[in-house]
This record gives sequence, C-alpha cells and structure tokens, in this order.
Amino acid sequence: MSSRAQKATLVPDPHSKGGAVAVLAVLAGDEAYGFPLSSVREILVPPPVAEVPRTAEHILGVISVRGQIITLIDLPKLLSLAVAERRSCGRVLLVDNGEELIGVAVDEVIQVYRMEPAQIEYASAMGAELSEYVIGIGRMSPSGPTENDDMLILIDPVSLLGG
Amino acid sequence: MSDPRDNVQQEFLAEAQELVEALSRDLLLLDEAHHRGERINPALINEIFRSVHTLKGIAGMFGYKHVGAVAHALEDLLDDLRLGRTPVAQQLLDVLFDSVERFQRLLGLEDPQSPEEGPAVQAYIAAIRSIGMMPSDEEGDLLERYALDPAVLSVLTEYEEHRLRACIREGLRLYRLRAAFDLTAIDDSIETLREVARDDAEIITYLPSMEGGNNETIELVVLLASRVPEQELKNHFEGRYGTIDAIPEQTHLPTLPPHLTSMPPSMATSIGPRQDEDASQASLRSVANSVRVDIRKLDHLMNVVGELALVRSAIGRVVDELKRESLDRQSAMSLDRIGRGFERQLAELRSGILDVRMVPLGQVFNKLARIVRQAAREQNKQVRLVVTGANTEVDKLIVEELTDPLMHLVRNAIDHGIESSEGRGRVSKRSEGTLALNAYHKGSNVVIEVEDDGNGMNPHKLRETAIARGLLSPDLGQELTRQDMLNLVFLPGLSTNSEVTDMSGRGVGMDVVKTNILRLGGMVSIASEQGIGTKITVTLPITLAIIRALIVTIASRTFALPITAVREAIPYVPKAVRTIQGREVITLRGETLAICDLSRLFGFRRSNEEQGRFIVVGSMGNRELGFVVDGLIGQEDVIIKSLGKSLASVRGFAGATDLGDQKVALVLDAPALFAEYFDGPEALRSLETRP
Repeated sequence: MSSRAQKATLVPDPHSKGGAVAVLAVLAGDEAYGFPLSSVREILVPPPVAEVPRTAEHILGVISVRGQIITLIDLPKLLSLAVAERRSCGRVLLVDNGEELIGVAVDEVIQVYRMEPAQIEYASAMGAELSEYVIGIGRMSPSGPTENDDMLILIDPVSLLGG
Repeated sequence: MSDPRDNVQQEFLAEAQELVEALSRDLLLLDEAHHRGERINPALINEIFRSVHTLKGIAGMFGYKHVGAVAHALEDLLDDLRLGRTPVAQQLLDVLFDSVERFQRLLGLEDPQSPEEGPAVQAYIAAIRSIGMMPSDEEGDLLERYALDPAVLSVLTEYEEHRLRACIREGLRLYRLRAAFDLTAIDDSIETLREVARDDAEIITYLPSMEGGNNETIELVVLLASRVPEQELKNHFEGRYGTIDAIPEQTHLPTLPPHLTSMPPSMATSIGPRQDEDASQASLRSVANSVRVDIRKLDHLMNVVGELALVRSAIGRVVDELKRESLDRQSAMSLDRIGRGFERQLAELRSGILDVRMVPLGQVFNKLARIVRQAAREQNKQVRLVVTGANTEVDKLIVEELTDPLMHLVRNAIDHGIESSEGRGRVSKRSEGTLALNAYHKGSNVVIEVEDDGNGMNPHKLRETAIARGLLSPDLGQELTRQDMLNLVFLPGLSTNSEVTDMSGRGVGMDVVKTNILRLGGMVSIASEQGIGTKITVTLPITLAIIRALIVTIASRTFALPITAVREAIPYVPKAVRTIQGREVITLRGETLAICDLSRLFGFRRSNEEQGRFIVVGSMGNRELGFVVDGLIGQEDVIIKSLGKSLASVRGFAGATDLGDQKVALVLDAPALFAEYFDGPEALRSLETRP
C-alpha cells in the first residue's frame, strides 16, 4: 500500500530542484499532520455539519460546499489516536483522494513546508506500526531525529475513505 | 462537451436506437395484424421499410458496416413485401424480429467494423435472402375491370400498381377525388389528406390535372380505393376537398377526363411528389421539431435551479430582516414582491425542466412486448399481452433503470406463471394466458403492475424451500403469515437456482428485481392466489431529480422525508403504545400500526425534555409504518444529492440536501427503512432472537 501511495501522492514540486515536495502542515488534536499540497483543494471555515447515524466514529457527518455533499472526517479518530482534549474544529481541508473530495476537520493550519526527500522517512522503511493512512514521517530538520514538535505525520490522501 | 466526434457518434447512436425502437414497435403491430388475420395496412409496411432505409443511410455515414449490410438486405426483403412479391408469413416475421436484437447488438459494438462479427452477419443476411421471393399471382385482367385509362396505368409505379391490384382483389371500390391544393404547402396538404383518408380509404396515387389551377393552387386528381359506401365517402371528402366520383367498372363507357389521357407520362412522373419522397420529407420535418438532450445537461440545469432556490431563500431572509428593523419598509415590501415573482418563475422553470425529463412508459412496454412474444414462442405458450397506461410519464432515468427489472418480471410470469395451453385446459381456463401490464399515477408515485392469470404461487412451498436452503429457521417459519411467506420470494438465494425455481414457481433473481427497484426509491409487493394468478406491483417516484419533502427533527437534528412516502402525521401519545412480539405498535382508526423510533434506530441520545413528539405515518405499496420523530418543521422541495462514495454503504439514507445557508439535512430513504424494518435479514434475525 505504501509504495503505491508514494507514487500517487508525493509529487515533487516542479518549481524546486532535487524532488522537494510541498506539504501543508496542520494541527489536529495533539499531533501535527502533513498533507501533500497537491491533494488539498481548499481550506474552509467549518460549515454546519449534518451528522450521519450508523457510521464509523471517525465520520463526523456531511457538509455542503457549493451544493456538493462532502463527507467530513476527524483525523485523530481515523488514525485511532486517543485524544486528550479536542479543541473545536478550526478549519476544514478539502482533500482530493482521487475519487472524491473528502473534508478533513483540523484545529489549525500551520503553513506549507517544502520537504526534501531526505526529510521524509517512509512508513515502509519503519516497520508495520503505522496506520495505512500514513505515508511516513516528515522531519523539519534535515539532519536526523529531533524533537517531537518538528515532526509531521504525512497522510496519504488516496487511502482516505477510498482506494 | 468532450470530443466533438464523440458527440456526433452519440447523436448517431441515439438516432439509430430510436429507429430500431420504431422498427420493433411496427413489427409488433404487423405481427398482431398477421395473427388476427387482419388486412395488413400498407402504410405500416412502408413505415418499417422507411426505418430500415434510414438506418442503412446513417449507418453508412458512420462506418457501421455490419448494420448497413443487414439493413441493406432487409430493405430488399421489405421492398418485396411492400410490392407484394413476398407474402407476410411467420418465417418472414421471425427473421424481421431477429433483426431488432441484431441491430441492437451491432450498435453496441465497441468496434463497429469488427471482423469477428462478419460470419454471423453474413449468415443472417443469407437467412434474409433465403426467405426468397414468392411470385405474385398474375392477375393482369384485374385492372381491366375498371375503366382506367392505359395512360394512367402506364405512369403508375410498380408499388402503386401492386396496391391498386391488391385493393381490387380485396373488393375495394375505386374513386377519383379532384381537389385543389395550395402550391406552397402542398406537401403538408397531401400529408393531411393521407391522415384524413387513412381510416376510410387508401390513396393509390395522385396526378396533377391540367385545369383548375392558377399561380397559387394546383388541382390534383387523386385515385382512391375504399370499401366505404360512396355516399359516406362523399360526406367525408366533399366540402373539405373537391368532388369525388366512383370510377365505373368496365361494363360502362370509359369516362376518364381528357386531361388524364392526354397527359404525357413523363410529365406525370416528374410533377408532384412521389409517395416516398413525400414521406421522407414529412419525417424530416418531425425530427426537426424535437431535440435530443443528454440527461446530464438536464441534471446540470436542475442543479442550477436548486442553487437559484437557495439564492431566493437568502433574499427572503434579507427581506425579513429589513422588515423587522423597519428601516425602509417601502423598499422591503417591494423587494418582497420581487422575490415572490422570482419564486413563481423559478417554480415554472423547475416544472418545465422536470417535464422535459419525462418520457412515456410505452417505451419500456414496447421492449417488453417483444420479450413476451419471444418468451411465449420459446415456451410454446399462448400469451395475450394487455397494456394499459402506456402514456404514463416517468423520469427518463427511471425508465432506463426500469427495463431490466420489468423484463425479469415479464419473463417470470411467462416461464413460471402462465401454464401451457393443455395445462390451462385441464383447469378449464382459456387456452390463451393473459399478461397485463398496467401503469398509472397514484399521487406523486407511478405504479406499474405485472399481472398474469397463471397458476400462482404456493406460499407453503416457498417456506419449505427457504427452510431447506437455510434461509429461514423452522421455528421462525412457523410464525410467518401467508403474506410473509410470499415475500420470501425476494430473499437472495431463494430463486436463483433453476431446480428451486420449479418448486417455488417463480424464476431467477426476484431479489435482484427488488434491489433494483429499491435503488430507484421504489417498492415491490406481491400478491398471488394459487390457481388464479400473480400480481407484482412496483411503486416508484415519478422523478428522482427533485422531491417534495417533509422536514423533521430527530433528537435536534434535521432530516428530510420524501412526501411520497408520507400519508399523515399524528401526535405521539406514549400511553397509546403497545408491544406485540417485541415490536411497538399503536392503534390508528381501528388498525394496528407498527412504529419505529428513529432516534433509537439511529442511536441518538435525546434529552428527555423534548415534548410533543410526532408519528409520521409512512406508506409504501401496501404497507404502513409509523416513524416517531421529535418535531415537524414543514414541507420543502429538495434536490437529493448522493452521499459520497465513502458513505455508499450507509443504510437508510437516500442522500443529503442543502436547505440553504449551507445547512445540510440527510434525506431518509423510506423504502430502505421499510425494507429494513419489515423484511431485511436483520428483521428476520431480530425476530429470531426474541423469546
């Protein structure tokens, strides 16, 4: 799964040299996550959500964006992470998973990073402990492991509720 | 939209499809007339000829080689038929019917030139050719019975001469009508004359006369054949057209007007439209009156209308605000008026678009008629098809999706319902079985019934089969009512095996039929009496594009319930609720009504303060179920949008809708909720777990 994800989603930024990838960093719950910028269509102020009964816990409901009905998910719950205290949903990312747009509720949008290949540690290289939704870990500092705050969990948009 | 070549290709396919459908329709009429031993209307054979001819033409243009080749061979055969060189016979009809299937197959090919199809096409063409020509009887003297001038006879085309002979042979009388026509509108006028004459007389030919015309009009002499008495014909035509006279039989002196005898034949053939040209022009005109539209374009328009409705409600809110703050009441009032006008026009626009999407069910019924004929022949059974309500209109998308399920039902009725003639004889039924297709509107639903007078179903055998196949526990089986047993036929796995089919009396895939109908937001129900027959009733919404919905709240969340499924709403009185076999029911006007608390079904936690709940009584087919909700907000027209792929597996919702202001409400899927409650496997299982 991860090999397909690398191909499908980590598209090098054409404006940079050496295969750097643009990643949008966001905060949700206790973690920082990164989405390949190429998969993010839009960042929205959260619209009203209609809860959908009898669905998995990570599905918050559906929202309407210009008449289109979009499923809204909660990232930490999708990754089965226990979250101590969840701040209110601050932004919604519209992420293209290749088949449809998925709304991802996040607390805060941080910024766009350009990551060199050396900064990305692929899940396939780290053993099987990570969720299928995770491509790998991005480290802010190119020189090996640093503190937790500088780490982004890189999400594979293709696997979000699809593929 | 996309590649213009693709569009042209689509256009071709759509037109070809229409032609094949027309061909199929006309062949059925021909078949019927042949079987009843009626006189075959020559106009019908011409119509068939024309469809095939046009198909040949357009197939050639678009490189559909095989279609063109088949059409060409058929055209020759049909030409023989219309010239009377070949009689209408069973074998010929079979070959013609075969062509419909074949054309559809060839039109569906990825590669229209596919060489793999070559041998099959050649074999079929050989079959067409082998029908061969039957020499027509030599009856030259027939024409001599009448005082027809040889000059007239010499300008008749082969077809006209054939028709003239045929009419005389059938004992029709010949008449001559002289009438003046407006030169500029002559094609139309002759077409009208043809229409007027259709029931009473056949037009053999018409020739321009040399007299009685001026710059604007032309006088034609029309040769008619009719079995209607002369006086009646006179009443019918004189006054509207010119004078009409019987052409005397040969014992009298020839009284042909001099102009007919003196007219040079070359002139006669060059003036005045010939039958074929005239007809093809008429058909071109009718095509130009309608346009074919991709249904997605209509969907798009519908979405735009939906967005406009949202704009309208935003204006409404601004108006309310202005009125409340009364800063400028005058302007607020006029804005309100404008808003209302806008709303009216919008409603008009919406119903206009909906209207365009509507097509008569007759389109499907024609396909079914072919299936009936085919299945009856295969099974060697006699089946009379009775269709009512073919004009009933339904959304195009629904019609498309309906064909397959209805085809299953019709096949089942013939394969397993209607008995063989001998079988029917033994129980003193008419040897010919009857299959009825009825369609009618009922509120905002359309109802389609497939009814046969066959041997019906045995509910106990259905139960035994279900138990034998492990679909039902013997204990639970004992609890089933007669109707429950009949409904078992819709269980997956019950009717998919031919061995079981014979036992159950019904055929393949009733569960598939049910699933398909449910997907369209419809319902299937079954009624059957052993020895008397079976009636399957399909209830469907008229359109999927836009629906009127009752907006309700369930545990403070907003939902929309399609009004088509709602019969009434009544207050919920907790004290009135009883429990029967673990299910909650109330008594409504003396009848027991099962109720289903939606907040419980959906696992919502309600705050106990919520008072004044309601029961929305839903009705689907012949079943009723009360949905307990917490509040009623009102009715609204909503556009249902599908939930994304990621939520496709969630049961109970037909989609979601935007209520304006970005507020979203889920649309309850009443048929699915009914199915879940009454006959889903879950329902059976939950029954089983009860003490």
